[in-house]
Amino acid sequence: MSFPPALLELLVLCLGLALLLVESFTEKQDRTLLAYIGMVGLGVIFLILQLLPPGPTGMASYVFDPVAIFFKKFVVLTTIIVLIMSVDYATTIQRFVPGISSQAGLGEFFAIPILTCAGMMWMASAIDFILIFVSLELVTISFYVLVAFMRRNASSLEAGVKYLILSAFSTGFFAYGAAWIFGVTGNTNLVRIQQVLPALGAENYSAILFGALLVLVGLGFKIAAAPFQFWVPDVYQGAPTPITAFLSVGSKAVGFIVLLRVVQAFQSLPPVGDKVVAALIILAAATLIYGNLAALPQTNLKRLLAYSSIGHAGYLLMAVAGISARDSGQAVVIYLAAYLLMTLLSFLILIIVSNYADGDEIVNFNGLSQRSPLLAFGLLVAMMSLAGVPFTAGFLGKFLVFKVAYESQQFVLLALGIITVGCGFYYYLKVVRAMYWQSAASNGATIPVSGLSFATIVLLVLFTFLLGIFPQMATGLLR
Amino acid sequence: MVQDYLPILLQVIVAIGFAGVALLASVVLGRVGRRNPTKDSAYECGMIAKGEPQPRFSVKFYLVAMLFILFDIELVFMYPWAVAYRDYIATYNAWTIFGSMFGFVFILMVGFVYAIKKGALDWKR
Amino acid sequence: MVTLNDYLLASGLLFSLGFAGVLLRRNIIVIYMALELMLNASALALVGFSRFHVRDGLPDYNAQIFVFFIITVAAAEVAVGLAIIVALFRARQTTRVEDLTSLRF
Repeated sequence: MSFPPALLELLVLCLGLALLLVESFTEKQDRTLLAYIGMVGLGVIFLILQLLPPGPTGMASYVFDPVAIFFKKFVVLTTIIVLIMSVDYATTIQRFVPGISSQAGLGEFFAIPILTCAGMMWMASAIDFILIFVSLELVTISFYVLVAFMRRNASSLEAGVKYLILSAFSTGFFAYGAAWIFGVTGNTNLVRIQQVLPALGAENYSAILFGALLVLVGLGFKIAAAPFQFWVPDVYQGAPTPITAFLSVGSKAVGFIVLLRVVQAFQSLPPVGDKVVAALIILAAATLIYGNLAALPQTNLKRLLAYSSIGHAGYLLMAVAGISARDSGQAVVIYLAAYLLMTLLSFLILIIVSNYADGDEIVNFNGLSQRSPLLAFGLLVAMMSLAGVPFTAGFLGKFLVFKVAYESQQFVLLALGIITVGCGFYYYLKVVRAMYWQSAASNGATIPVSGLSFATIVLLVLFTFLLGIFPQMATGLLR
Repeated sequence: MVQDYLPILLQVIVAIGFAGVALLASVVLGRVGRRNPTKDSAYECGMIAKGEPQPRFSVKFYLVAMLFILFDIELVFMYPWAVAYRDYIATYNAWTIFGSMFGFVFILMVGFVYAIKKGALDWKR
Repeated sequence: MVTLNDYLLASGLLFSLGFAGVLLRRNIIVIYMALELMLNASALALVGFSRFHVRDGLPDYNAQIFVFFIITVAAAEVAVGLAIIVALFRARQTTRVEDLTSLRF
């Protein structure tokens, strides 16, 4: 099959642009149609990805290896589910976006995630600092627009400004670090850097370490690792909920693939590579402690999920820090797959419930098991998986991460990880308690669920269990 | 090498010196003379000054300016492309380089059409 | 003779200025200018490295391409960023960071 893989991103880009044009040329059409076109288009891209074998691309800055394919599928799937959520969220968007027609701004709300998806797909394949930088910025700048999308909502705007400032801050670090790495190695290509590094003299070590740490800081912001996590709770709480889900799943995942590739490149020079790993261990420990402890007193589910996403970044960093172990990359991939299932599941249910209850406090979930058994069960599965109960996808991910930490002999991190899992049980079960043991404040009317969301919830629940019960399915993710 | 920059340095010194002397002189001379409100008001070629010294612009001005910057800055890619074009087609496939610039301009055009259809350039609205 | 060290010193100063500006200033627009300063610092460092990293008698143009991308990306970032800041000003009549406190628990 002679389908050039680099065409995929262009197709996604054209899909997004076409939606924008359709948006601007039709005025009477129902805007949700655009979302359905987007979902179908991305579904086709997903099928093509399923068929394409990994192989050489003939480009120096673009690879199409199994990891890249996995991450491409990952972000396409995430975008499809985000679009499904956006359709459910459309009423809230309409309330907070001024315009002549009642559906003003909705078309853009469906089209921009697709452009973001193209950026993320490029990031999954990028092995050159220039391409990484540009695709990273494509993702980030589209997120600026999306986070601040609800122009009449003060907290959405505030979240947008905070995300803007801190993201641009991290971009500054990333670019400066890349400049120093270029200065020492004379290359922006990660493969070439990996080849050049061992030949460098000892006088260059401090400069290359400086560059590497700056890049690490820049990426630390993107993946929400402590101590660069302070933007996360505010931005996640203020942004439109589908965008929060997109940020916490898509943006974080592509941050991790870039991190993996960069850290891998520096392993060819042990004096520097070891220090980078040491920095990662510190980041992982801080992230684990902060994310899990700060989540304990939360009463708002959206904010709780924000802290939980910081905590999960900690477990993922544990796997990256164990890069000397053989299965490090695989652990990251499987953990992320599990993370996608359970996080999107909880956000989808959060959107449906908060649409109905007009709030995303945990109190709003009181007595959900009587009002809508399906939603309550879905959220129960998501919370169990996030906490790491056996026979769910989350358990498998955590197990593999701990295995990697054990093999690379990071026992302090391992101990921290096991303790923080205990913390996790407390705050995730708080939600379950509200749903099953508290009675509803208002009348017990059932919550309407659209057919598409219903099917998505069922599928996500199903895969959460499948991945947990048949771990060999997960290894198939990396063919 | 450094000597080459000497004239620039001299020019900078002269410019700063002249500005400083002129400002100082006006302050010093201003102390001497008698003052009244008419003398203290801003001099605008004999007209009576009215309005604020920094008038406010319509926000549409900034919108157009922002769009201008966005489209203007893209020229930075076209110039090296035009310079490299002849050398490139001598050795490689001409459609690659032509197609990539075509795609680039196409994306810009989509943005432009979108801006027009959304009324971003509509001054009166 | 201007050496690579001079360029790196200047870019380091620019970066630190931008960094300090982001941390110390309280006006969002000024913070945004400081952020641009940080990006320009990396552009200057890249041009400096490119000028002194000679390949076949020519400067290494890879870095200068990177600079082009940094410039254009910064322009796009500014356009979107200023639009968001203007929207915030219209909604809240403020551009001071102390006033952005509706999202605290």
